[in-house]
Amino acid sequence: MPKSYPEVHLDALREIANIGSGTAATALSSMLGRPVDISVPKALALPLADAVDAAGPADAEVTAVMLPLVGDLDAIALLLFAPEDAAVLCELLGVDVRTPVGISALAEIGNILGSAYIGALTMMTNLALEPRPPQTTTDMLAAIVSSVLAAGAAETDIALLLDSELTVEGVECSLSFMLAPGKDGVAEILSRLGLDA
Amino acid sequence: MTATALETMVRMGELSVSRTPGHVLASIGLGSCIGVVLIDTARPLAGLAHVVLPSSADGSAGALAKFADRAVPALIEQMTLLGAGRTRLDAVLVSGAHMFGFDSESSLDIGRRNEQAARDALAQAGLFVRAAATGGNKGRTVRVHVESGLVTIKEPGVAEVELFSNGGVAERSR
Repeated sequence: MPKSYPEVHLDALREIANIGSGTAATALSSMLGRPVDISVPKALALPLADAVDAAGPADAEVTAVMLPLVGDLDAIALLLFAPEDAAVLCELLGVDVRTPVGISALAEIGNILGSAYIGALTMMTNLALEPRPPQTTTDMLAAIVSSVLAAGAAETDIALLLDSELTVEGVECSLSFMLAPGKDGVAEILSRLGLDA
Repeated sequence: MTATALETMVRMGELSVSRTPGHVLASIGLGSCIGVVLIDTARPLAGLAHVVLPSSADGSAGALAKFADRAVPALIEQMTLLGAGRTRLDAVLVSGAHMFGFDSESSLDIGRRNEQAARDALAQAGLFVRAAATGGNKGRTVRVHVESGLVTIKEPGVAEVELFSNGGVAERSR
């Protein structure tokens, strides 16, 4: 079991995140009718506790849309917004974030972005993957990220996070998109790309 | 409790014990993880383990407190090394929440399984759970005040509340 991942593997995973988040940004842009920028994604392979720290301040309140992915591998896609950014997104869609309609709009954004991201992943790797219904919650960042990472932590102490930042132009609104593949998920992705895990 | 408390973060899979007065052990944002707190009822001595998963049979060893079945004995051992009496240890459990609904019907309800595994391991060691704030679907922060044996929890959007207060405080400070 690898203690970490070699740089060439992280590069390949970063490229996947890049294409995945680019596709997701296009989907978000057409939904909102505004340009959406993406940052250079990060591929982080870190011990569990450090991965939670790297996600941001532990007690920061965030709204999360969690999308379990099942199929040839297990992974969790996670969309994270600051609560004020979630409010802006809902406003752009003409709904109120404090209502059930707002919450379901956020879940739908998660669904669309997640599907776009895994569509790209599927095409690159030829993996069959499908999303389960999204779950939305607002809580402390560390509680959300650690619970997501715990699901894949049994076999490894190293968490892999693919982290992209999407910024909606013209309004103060950004969100981050994370993909946390389970241990076997990483190996499967790498082997489909012709890299031995 | 002192205003200038020195706080030690106990992160995923970590554990920490202390007998330093004024010291606070804390885990910020426990979700499906469970915080196992041990307090020596007779002296300022406390420990906190941030447990990620129930059983080491499900995976590979790693961080000391990753699996409940190993974390609990390890925590007891480290407490004992600092002079804790095994018969004087009170246990407190925090979190093991169910953050997302997706795993409700499967064996993947990690929070609930973590709580059960922690309770089993504590029972096996002959220790009693004196207080618990577990389950639900909200994350929790736990703080353990070594000197007083006070355990507080904080949920998002709610004020910090006292979960457990060691009855031996007055006796100890004599």
